[in-house]
Amino acid sequence: MKHRLTIPVMMAALALGSVAACGGNPEPQGPTPEEIAAQARADSIAAAQRAEQERLAAERRAEQQRLEAERRAREEAARETAAARSILEEMINFDYDRSAIRPDAEQRLMRKLTVLRANPNARIRVAGHADERGSVEYNLALGQRRAEAAKDFLVGFGIDASRIETVSFGEDRPLVRASNEQAWAQNRRDEFTVIAGGDVLRNPGGN
Amino acid sequence: MRISSGRRGTVKQARGAKFDSKAGARPALRALAALVLAVTAVGPRPAAAQVRPDTTLPTGVQLKLVYETQYRPRLAVQPFSGGAGAAADEAHRILQRDLDYSDRFDILFALPEALREGSDYSRWNDLGVVYLVTGGMERAETGGYRLRLALHDVVYGSVKEIRLFQLPAVDDDGFRMAVHAAADEVVRWATGEPGMAATRIALTRHLGDGTYELLLVDSDGENLQRIDAHLRLYSPAWSPDGTRLAYQYGDEERNSVVERDLRTGRVTAITERQILAQTPSYAPGGGRVALALWVDRGMEIHEYDVERDCCLRKLSRQSKIDMHPSYSPDGTRIAFQSDRLGNPHIFTMPAGGGNAVLVTAFEVGGAGYYTSPDWSPRTSQIVFHGRSRGGVFQIMVADANRPGAPVQQITGEGRSEDPSFAPDGRHIVFSGVREDGMGLYVIDLVTGRIRPLVTGGRYRMPDWSPVLVNASSVAATP
Repeated sequence: MKHRLTIPVMMAALALGSVAACGGNPEPQGPTPEEIAAQARADSIAAAQRAEQERLAAERRAEQQRLEAERRAREEAARETAAARSILEEMINFDYDRSAIRPDAEQRLMRKLTVLRANPNARIRVAGHADERGSVEYNLALGQRRAEAAKDFLVGFGIDASRIETVSFGEDRPLVRASNEQAWAQNRRDEFTVIAGGDVLRNPGGN
Repeated sequence: MRISSGRRGTVKQARGAKFDSKAGARPALRALAALVLAVTAVGPRPAAAQVRPDTTLPTGVQLKLVYETQYRPRLAVQPFSGGAGAAADEAHRILQRDLDYSDRFDILFALPEALREGSDYSRWNDLGVVYLVTGGMERAETGGYRLRLALHDVVYGSVKEIRLFQLPAVDDDGFRMAVHAAADEVVRWATGEPGMAATRIALTRHLGDGTYELLLVDSDGENLQRIDAHLRLYSPAWSPDGTRLAYQYGDEERNSVVERDLRTGRVTAITERQILAQTPSYAPGGGRVALALWVDRGMEIHEYDVERDCCLRKLSRQSKIDMHPSYSPDGTRIAFQSDRLGNPHIFTMPAGGGNAVLVTAFEVGGAGYYTSPDWSPRTSQIVFHGRSRGGVFQIMVADANRPGAPVQQITGEGRSEDPSFAPDGRHIVFSGVREDGMGLYVIDLVTGRIRPLVTGGRYRMPDWSPVLVNASSVAATP
């Protein structure tokens, strides 16, 4: 709109100048043709600059939108990865002197199964732990059997055995340092760690 | 690296080790040692004797905490004569305490001034002394000392034995051990039985975060030395000649079994770190080691020839947890623990593998839970720890030749685990938690007396050495 207004105003100014020049004394001086040409050139340059600025602004907006979309996608992926990782790393617990998978542990292992199937590059380590009761040596073997029990469960559902490492820490790394039933129940556990392919994980179960 | 998972082809499968229910009918070949209570004026009463029998014990466990009175001859050790000064006092102190710790004598510690020298048998007899030990100690020209020890039979009024011993200098590592060997000789003179003073106990101390120290301590609880420290350093086991220790060694990923030469400090891996390996134990000859290996989804007893560095053999096959092998004195059988019946129980099997015989009494669904067996170096007794009333672990003894017979619980205080027999077959070292702390304790199977060995730390998994120095090796020619 400004463009369109500018030119008639200029024309009017020129006309007034002409009238004044033809009139009496003192004769008002109108812009010379050179001045008019310079003004037109300046106006044209300004218009081009404005156009360029607007094009750049539009580009910036598009870039920002693209970055925003990417950021949201990354956040989404990170959230999904974190969710998948927390499913994979959820501990399971065991009964005293037992390595059988309990029903509550089975549910957690089934969730891990879904995540492992959706992420064929992910590899995990299962670390078995025992409570402090019984011989130190037997507890190490018991921890190994608990780790193997979780591995066997997942391999039984078709996960490649090479994707799951096992280790035992026996009674040496208690989660809770106390000597009571509650502490022992928490210390009898398998811990799971993603050791490869964990940077981006899919979580088909949703968040 | 000797045992490799890639060399399974060399694993010879022994005959399947099966539970033999008929073995329970075997006749008793050897009665358990009589357990008696020593009530003496000077020795402390066994603390365990105060524990009353409890009807809630697991099936097949009998309390044997009340020891019958047993006669122990009174013995006095006269201060050593000669010009050895402080060294003689130190040798006297060590010898007298060793004889006390042998639990075979009633030691007369406080000697009347008049009897600090001379051997007037009638005056010793008046004090009820049966055995008098006298000694003369002098500097030897070659360095060190010469100790002449005599055992007098006061009742018969005669010298029973006399011998000259060569001792190194007091600050020499061998001084204490040479005196211990002399003490064992006095035990043999008086009783005809072997002593256990010239021994050491290998043990671990848990420092937290899974790090364990490997330590050695003399049988009298002195001279504690650090040998090694590592993650999950478990189950040290002496070679029969006392020159090597086999033990488990872990890192962030795995556990293997190594052998350390105590003379050179050289450590050799017996197993590759890819396989979980635990609880090594030497066969009597020292050429073979039995251990537990995780193979094919289970922990099984294996045997390895460490002399020829070959010939791994699988001795058990149950795909559960079989561990803690321990050879019988003649090397023909192995005691071990297995959870093939559900809970861990103690079994024996032929040393080459074969039918396993359940030793501990079993009840379906029962609370029986027995681990860490150690076979006596002299008899058919097997010591282990088992769940007692209230789920607390205590030391128990069974007879390998009487499978299924009631096992005898020999400790009753606090918590007691990880037992290991002394070479004399009557003392047992174990890790315990007591009202006044935790540590290693020694119990005498005959008198029931318990003494602390090392306390004030998380000391676990002791293994008692064989006799490390014989009297003959420190004997000198007059």
